[in-house]
Formats: sequence, structure tokens, C-alpha cells
Amino acid sequence: MRHVTFVKKIKADGSPCRKCVDVEQRLQAANLMSRIGRVVIADEREPDSEGMRLAAELGVDAAPFFIVITDGAQTVYTSYVKVLNEVLSAPTSAEEEAKEILERSDDLDFL
Amino acid sequence: MVGMGIASAEMDGLAAEYATREPVAILELAFARFDKIAVSFSGAEDVVLIDMATRLRPDLAVFCLDTGRLHGETYRFLEKVRARYHLALDVLSPDTVAVERLVREKGLFSFYETGHTECCSIRKVMPLRKKLATVDAWITGQRKDQSPGTRAGVPVIQADTAFSTAERTLVKFNPLANWSSADVWGYIRANDVPYNELHEKGFTSIGCEPCTRAVLPNQHEREGRWWWEEATKKECGLHIGNLKGGR
Repeated sequence: MRHVTFVKKIKADGSPCRKCVDVEQRLQAANLMSRIGRVVIADEREPDSEGMRLAAELGVDAAPFFIVITDGAQTVYTSYVKVLNEVLSAPTSAEEEAKEILERSDDLDFL
Repeated sequence: MVGMGIASAEMDGLAAEYATREPVAILELAFARFDKIAVSFSGAEDVVLIDMATRLRPDLAVFCLDTGRLHGETYRFLEKVRARYHLALDVLSPDTVAVERLVREKGLFSFYETGHTECCSIRKVMPLRKKLATVDAWITGQRKDQSPGTRAGVPVIQADTAFSTAERTLVKFNPLANWSSADVWGYIRANDVPYNELHEKGFTSIGCEPCTRAVLPNQHEREGRWWWEEATKKECGLHIGNLKGGR
């Protein structure tokens, strides 16, 4: 039994985090949103919002992230590509993988 | 003799041991440990790495990422370096299908609207990833002083977390990590090393033509790259510090 929670962010100015919107759109385009059990908001304007509390508890410092519970065991994923490959068994394109590598490695684009 | 590589267990120790060593010592270690190793050359002042490394290994493997959007000056400089050091310079092109799709769907200047990540992913990261799958280690010209925000912690030796896989650890050497821009330019002048003519036109950080501009005296070099999107670069961070400091 597996349950996936998708945590996305609302920024301090009230607008959605661009990366979170991007990931959600990619999930929708791949018809994978139906396999996301819950969507939780981390609202920077509300430190007590569920997503902000989860981030603090789990030591996650960037959005979006996923909490996957499989047979009672919890795993936190900050990688969209890993969630697709390892949890949702969905293929990812070389472009998607490269984009995530760059998003997670600030210094690479200076090459 | 076959290079023995660097085991994960000795990575931190070697990084600490070589943290204050000169770039040449770090290059000597890299070549002693790895046979399948290549230098990444950006067409900028990291040319000093090529000057140093070819003295140690004349058949040095060097590659550069030709995004298709570089300045004419940079292409001319690549040729100058190829001739000067007798390199079999490996000029990597992006995947044609991916570039054509990006341009067809979003135009030639999408980065001004939606940020540079998608374009850089296709034109730089995809070919880089493909290349790095063929080596055990690579050498970059990354320096701490290039970007206080993203490079302040660059070690001289590290496991490359971006391109390593579950099956293998790719090792990355950054011999210039502790050198300043002044150190690099001192070396260029002292050794008569060729340099990109864009440096004479006010460019300090050199990338693709649409995404690079000259900077004024005392402006940080990174102000010459992606200047239109500075305000949104860190938007994915969750400000947990604020949470902890709250109620």
C-alpha cells in the first residue's frame, strides 16, 4: 500500500512557486495527479501551514517535495525525477532529467 | 600504470589534504589517479587549466560545450587554444531534436521570459551529462570567488553529486577553487597564456551571447549573467528559519 503527498509552496507575496506549478503541470500532463493522494500547501505567509510544518519536521529546505509512505515506511523525495522513476514508475525524458540536475546544482549553468 | 581512482572513503581526507595545495599539485593527483579524465573548458579564463595540465599530460582530453549561442570571439578563442596547445578539442553540440523542439515551441529567446534553466538544460547539461558518462573524473575551472552565493563552498576535490549514479561515483577536481581572479590573471600574464578577447571589452564571466554582458568596474562578474532574473532565482527555498523564529 502506497500513499503519496505532494507539498507545494505559496510564496510570501501570495503567488505560487514557479517550480511547484511546473511540476504540477508535468504531473497533470502525464496523467499522474490521480496517483497523488494528497496535495499540501506550504504557505510562507503562514508558518503554521501544514506544508511549512512538514518541511521543518522533515528538514526539507526547498519546494516542491513529496512524502511517500509505503507499507508504513516513509521516504521523502525532493527530486521530481526520482518520484516519477521510483514511485510512479513513469519514464522521464533526458530534458526533464537535465533540467532537474540544473535546478539542483546552482553552479552548473556557469560552465 | 592504471589509475587507481579515489575511493569514497578517502575523498574528504584528500580534499582536506589538498585544500591549500597549488593547482598543479591537484592536477598531478588527478592524473595519477585517473586515466579516463577530461578538462571542461568554457572558453574563458579557465584556459589557465589547459596551460598547466598540458605541461603534465600533453595528450590532455579537453571538451567544451558549444551551445550554438556563443560569441564569435569565443569561437575564435577556442580555435586559438586548440592550435596553441595542439589539442584534440572535443566540441560538444546539443541534441538537435531537443533544441529544435525548444525553439519551435518557445522561440529563440525564451530565457528572457521564463528563465534560463530550460535552455541551459538542453544546450549545456544534456551534452555535459552524455560526455561525463564516458569518464571517471573531470576537471573544472570553478573558483570560490566567482559566485559568493553558489560557489563559496567549492572544494578542490569532490564526489560529483549531480552526475554520479547509483552504479558509479564521478569525481570532480576544481584545482582553481582557492584562486582569486587576480591569481588567474597573474598567471595568464606571467605565462603569456592566450585569453578571450571579450575580456578586453569588459566581460568577466563569459557564457552565451544573449545571456552575458559586460560589467562595470567593481561590479561582480556574476552581474553579467542572467541579470534579468536575479530576483526570482531563489524562489524555491522554504524559509524554515522564519518558521523556527516564529511562534
